[in-house]
Amino acid sequence: MSTHEELKANAAGYVLGSLDPEERRAFESHLAGCAECAQEVASLRPVVGALATAVPQVTPRAELRHRILSNAAAGRRTDSHIHDRKSPAALTWLALAAAIIIAVGASVYAVRLQRQMGELQARFDQAQATTAVLAAPDLARIDLQGQPVAPDARARALWSRSRGLVFTAANLPPAPAGKAYQVWVVTAQAPISAGLLTPDSSGVGTQYYMTPVDIAPPVAVAVTLEPSGGVSAPTGERYLVGMP
Amino acid sequence: MWLLAALARLQPAAEAQAEDESSLRRLAFGDQAAAASLYDRHARPLYSLILRILGNETEAEDVLQDVFAQAFRDASRYDARRGAVAAWLLTIARSRALDRLRARRTRVEARTGEMQMLDEMPDAQPDAASTMLDEERSRLVRQALGELPMLQRIAIELAYYEGLSHSEIAERLEQPLGTVKTRIRLGLLKLRDALTEGLA
Repeated sequence: MSTHEELKANAAGYVLGSLDPEERRAFESHLAGCAECAQEVASLRPVVGALATAVPQVTPRAELRHRILSNAAAGRRTDSHIHDRKSPAALTWLALAAAIIIAVGASVYAVRLQRQMGELQARFDQAQATTAVLAAPDLARIDLQGQPVAPDARARALWSRSRGLVFTAANLPPAPAGKAYQVWVVTAQAPISAGLLTPDSSGVGTQYYMTPVDIAPPVAVAVTLEPSGGVSAPTGERYLVGMP
Repeated sequence: MWLLAALARLQPAAEAQAEDESSLRRLAFGDQAAAASLYDRHARPLYSLILRILGNETEAEDVLQDVFAQAFRDASRYDARRGAVAAWLLTIARSRALDRLRARRTRVEARTGEMQMLDEMPDAQPDAASTMLDEERSRLVRQALGELPMLQRIAIELAYYEGLSHSEIAERLEQPLGTVKTRIRLGLLKLRDALTEGLA
């Protein structure tokens, strides 16, 4: 029998819909008689609702509106799908004129917003890409060991051919001035640079890298110390090496 | 305080909800203009969420179509006591998109080594000319999300946008189930505080 505290820990998962089926049933029957949990659920609902809007906003194609509304008018189930893509020339002159008027009004605002978005977007893209890699069906894990120059260093590469590489390292000594750590995906043909890694002051660094989808299967992942800015093929000392 | 104030300014919530409810009532009586006004108010945020989950425009369009078909059909069953129309629609959208994502995941797992995902990344650019309010609201929530510790945030994103269960997340992150639960809960509570700060 679970305690109240154990069950309450599931309130967030319940609202997110991420409980396993038995957990959900147990929580639901507890919820019916527990004001405290009901209150927590109620207070978290709008938060989860807000997550729905925390995504880049994209307008669907204009053709889709027509299709959806004419299906509604016909009162039939919409199981025919649109795959054709009409050119902008299909826009009527009226819609075009309206779009131009709106665009002129929006441009001043858009420029300001663009600036604010820049930094936030960069951080957001990193986190979103990291999430995508972790959820990838073809996820592979490669653990890296510290080499003699940094025996305590540890790292893990999470790699999905389709989605890229998430690299996390710990216990890396600070890079000397003028030097930087560089991450390599080593294939049977050649080492391919994933990119630079900048650990924080505690020696921990996490970074997302895109990798070519047609890359040959990696035989190793490595970190070397290179001139800052990076090099096209490894020249420096190896700090971390791992094999799948 | 600033975040809630900013969100409140953006969303004349009561007015929007009243319009939505009136659209749904009219829809239930077969008023087709009501369908159009519902579409115009909600298509963009719904499509954006679906596209974020599926990462593929063609599939996102299919799902958006299904979401509206369901909303139009079930208009008379909407119950205002259970939340705003916007939230109701977003819930339908998320659930339909995740169904599609899970079905696809099963297919992809069956065919290892496929490279289809990259072709499916969205190439659509946010359209600066359309609804600025959505853009601004979205930015504010993203900002709050961006301030969470990385692992809390990733656990929440895996649950919400990828539809993974707690135990699947624990497996992916190689962490005990209890730790994952705690991270998700702390993250949501922190997000709640960021969104409601200053209410008291």
